[in-house]
Amino acid sequence: MRPVTTRTSGVLLLALLLAGFLLLGALPNQVAAIRVAGLSLLWWYGGVLAPVMAMLVAIRWLADPLPAASPGE
Amino acid sequence: MRSVARILAVWLTPAVVLAVPAALAARGPDGLWLGLVVTLAPLIVLGWGTGRPATGGDSRPGETLFPVVTLLVTVGVLLWANIALAGDVAAWLGARRWQGIVITAAAGWLLTAWRPLRRTAPLLLAIAFLAAVVVLLQLAWALALGPIAAWDRVATQPAFRFPPSSPWVISGRDLGAARGGERLVFDEVHRLTAPAGGVLRARTLDGGRLAEIEWTLVPGQTVTLRAGDEIMRGSTLRLRFEADKRVPGAPASGMVWADGRPRHWLERVGLAVTLLAGAAALLRAGVTVRLSGDGTGFAAGGLLLAFVWAQAWAVYAIIQAPDLFLGGITLERLLELPAHALFAEPWRRTLQALLLAAGLAAFLASSLALRERLGALDSTGGGEIGHDPGLWAGLFGGAALASLWPVDPWALSLLALGGAGCALGPAALWPPRHGRTAATAGVVGLIAFAVLAAAQLRGSGGGLLGVAIAYPALIAAPVGAFVLWLGRRVRP
Repeated sequence: MRPVTTRTSGVLLLALLLAGFLLLGALPNQVAAIRVAGLSLLWWYGGVLAPVMAMLVAIRWLADPLPAASPGE
Repeated sequence: MRSVARILAVWLTPAVVLAVPAALAARGPDGLWLGLVVTLAPLIVLGWGTGRPATGGDSRPGETLFPVVTLLVTVGVLLWANIALAGDVAAWLGARRWQGIVITAAAGWLLTAWRPLRRTAPLLLAIAFLAAVVVLLQLAWALALGPIAAWDRVATQPAFRFPPSSPWVISGRDLGAARGGERLVFDEVHRLTAPAGGVLRARTLDGGRLAEIEWTLVPGQTVTLRAGDEIMRGSTLRLRFEADKRVPGAPASGMVWADGRPRHWLERVGLAVTLLAGAAALLRAGVTVRLSGDGTGFAAGGLLLAFVWAQAWAVYAIIQAPDLFLGGITLERLLELPAHALFAEPWRRTLQALLLAAGLAAFLASSLALRERLGALDSTGGGEIGHDPGLWAGLFGGAALASLWPVDPWALSLLALGGAGCALGPAALWPPRHGRTAATAGVVGLIAFAVLAAAQLRGSGGGLLGVAIAYPALIAAPVGAFVLWLGRRVRP
């Protein structure tokens, strides 16, 4: 089994950021349309928060040295 | 592949970059999803696994040929999409379609053929980013609106109306140029003028009765359409619209645009799978990707910058030119400076030239990066595929010829990414030991993709099958991955 590396964690976090957008959009009663400081929650998340978080995740987790490939692969 | 600029240039072709603001302007939240996936997909793919190439050491020539041919076709289709976009831009700005095609294809071929210029992709990409950002900042400064205030203004618009400075109002435009596919249905009484005359076909609503009417208009003659009437596709005369009237085909209000009902979640997943598989094929298949810490930061920063630009550009374009919605938003309209009355000449012309220069520089950077990407697959290590002037002349020439007929550049890009993704994506992310396993999985994935894509010609329909036909990679990529998994178990 391949070990869980920091890169794996980074990829998982990026996938979660994508899933968060789907989840927010699916919330009932148009929760995602609530305006906060001029933008709706969905736009804050999808247009600002998620991309900025993705950049931070990439810098923090994806930039680590690559693990050596295991012989079984 | 080590250069961050090349990775960005391979992924961010002009058709892909402009598809984001186009989708944002057309369908708010769905455009946001597209932008988010375009931004995150390369990062996910680059971070995945070990960066080892797909094919193992015991691959036979026939097995290494499959990824080369697949990527060659993919690069050809991507070039086709972007050269067709150049033709669209030329036609939209009043030039001949072939002029845009010839300039773009010739410049692309020259740059790939002339050895001293082959390492200019990073410089060209920087020029494209800089020029696009300068035009955007100038627009924001002239409007005296920050991006959030601009979004708020769009989202609170009671209706999207023709501004008095719109070319559709002042001199009129050829209706055939509005080829976005949206219906031209009027929401209120609207008087149309045909400055040069021509034949106008409309479907009118008289009481509860539909009637199709054809008017032969003399130059300067006007026609009045009422709420519910629709101009039929195929009318290609020049028309002038009234200022301050609702734009046919625009969302009912800013609120509908900002918070409109999103597409089915499965469609969003289909788009994400297509782009993730496409990114895996384009950025990982057959090459080792090793990025330093700084490199990863630059890649993520570049993608973020492109997404921020796309969002701001979409919002400012809607504020300044709501006529963007007329007939549906197409990519070429976003390369026209949206401020019709904001800047005096020659400043306006300069900004427009800067915007076009950004588009051309992005295309040239992408062409160079795609050539290097293909060259990196050469099993001899010499990159011969990337240095063959005859091959690249054929690719650019074929793409230029095909571009003479208008196509949707984004649909073509999505087709290329989906096909390549199903053929090469699974093996790029889970490289098997044997090249034959990768080739078998790729062929099966590609066949599944082709069958579903061909079904698009019969219409996509609804439900899961409809989404699978609209986004063939949603089914075809897992099918390829399953065959790969089977192959790895049979031939460990």
